[in-house]
Amino acid sequence: MEDREILEAAAAAAREARPVALATVVQVKGSTPRDVGSKMLIGADGEQVGTIGGGCGEADVIETARQVLDTGVPQLIRVELTDDVESFSPAVCGGVMDIFIERTEGSLQ
Amino acid sequence: MTGSANISAAAAAAAALEATNRGESVALVTVIAGPEPGAAGKRLIVTSDSVRGGLGSSEADAWAVDLARESLESRWRGLRSLEVGDATWEIYVESQHPRPELVIVGAGHIARPLAHIGSLIGFRVTVLDDRPEFASERWFPDADKVAVVDFAHPFRDVDVRPDSYIVLVTRAHEYDYDCIRELLSMSARPAYLGMIGSRRRVRAAFEALVSDGIDPRLLDDVRAPIGLDIAAETPEEIAVAIAAEIIAGRRGGSGVPLTESERVLRRVARKHESKKGAG
Repeated sequence: MEDREILEAAAAAAREARPVALATVVQVKGSTPRDVGSKMLIGADGEQVGTIGGGCGEADVIETARQVLDTGVPQLIRVELTDDVESFSPAVCGGVMDIFIERTEGSLQ
Repeated sequence: MTGSANISAAAAAAAALEATNRGESVALVTVIAGPEPGAAGKRLIVTSDSVRGGLGSSEADAWAVDLARESLESRWRGLRSLEVGDATWEIYVESQHPRPELVIVGAGHIARPLAHIGSLIGFRVTVLDDRPEFASERWFPDADKVAVVDFAHPFRDVDVRPDSYIVLVTRAHEYDYDCIRELLSMSARPAYLGMIGSRRRVRAAFEALVSDGIDPRLLDDVRAPIGLDIAAETPEEIAVAIAAEIIAGRRGGSGVPLTESERVLRRVARKHESKKGAG
């Protein structure tokens, strides 16, 4: 999914005065599932638009997004996807991603 | 710089969409961490000739606007930090650009699934045909523009640019010939130009062009027959083969199956064999 669709969903949520959290990958190290700039929108009802990891590290992002939705205070989190491959954990995709999560206010101003 | 009130992420998203729909690029700067607790989330929206918002310090603003303008040119995205006196700013910069355009000439069976896929993969889609009953929005709900044109001048109302992707799927090679002639006479070269057809039909179009005195080197970049070889048969499959070639062109892919280029299993097997040999 392209940036454009996430931006459209964020603008639409604001028009409907629905707060949502916008997560953006701002820095990566190593072989990560998505590149810098990848975005994901998380709604208070659990709605998701886009993906920043395709299952890799997304649970942490969703958890933090809930806090950001509650407090309105942006957060920067680091997701490490460097678990041992033989663990078969979802975090074997490789690399480290820094993700900035902020709440979009219910306004286009 | 105008306004001290912060621009929300949603407002920045709306501004980016508005600018890119107008054909203009826009850079977004977001404070990740700043000297005050409230600094994170402050923002600048920067175009080639305008700046909105502010980061809370005119020095930081000036520095960030320079980075934003750099991103408008290079499409660079990422983090940067700046120290102003005792204060440290960490900002994230990215730019949003107008969608590349996919121009499908010939509104037949292949054009329909291709317009749909083109829209899904982020293109602004234009469909052209000389038959009003085919060039109808009814058949192309995802297209941004559907127009009836004269194939003698199919691109009269199309802005062919270095980020245009042009697919010729007309019903006769004489039209492909006309389209290629017109494209070669234009100043901008598209990023991609593909022409459908059997080897025989493609040959007929190329022969007509070359015997017209067109330098074959000018035709080197024409992808014909169009698409990657996945043995596609149906119009939908052919649309996938064409879309795959377009993605490879846009992103710099080789079109080679990853299993062959990566050869992961072969590497694992070799490692195990050398272990056995050693043990």
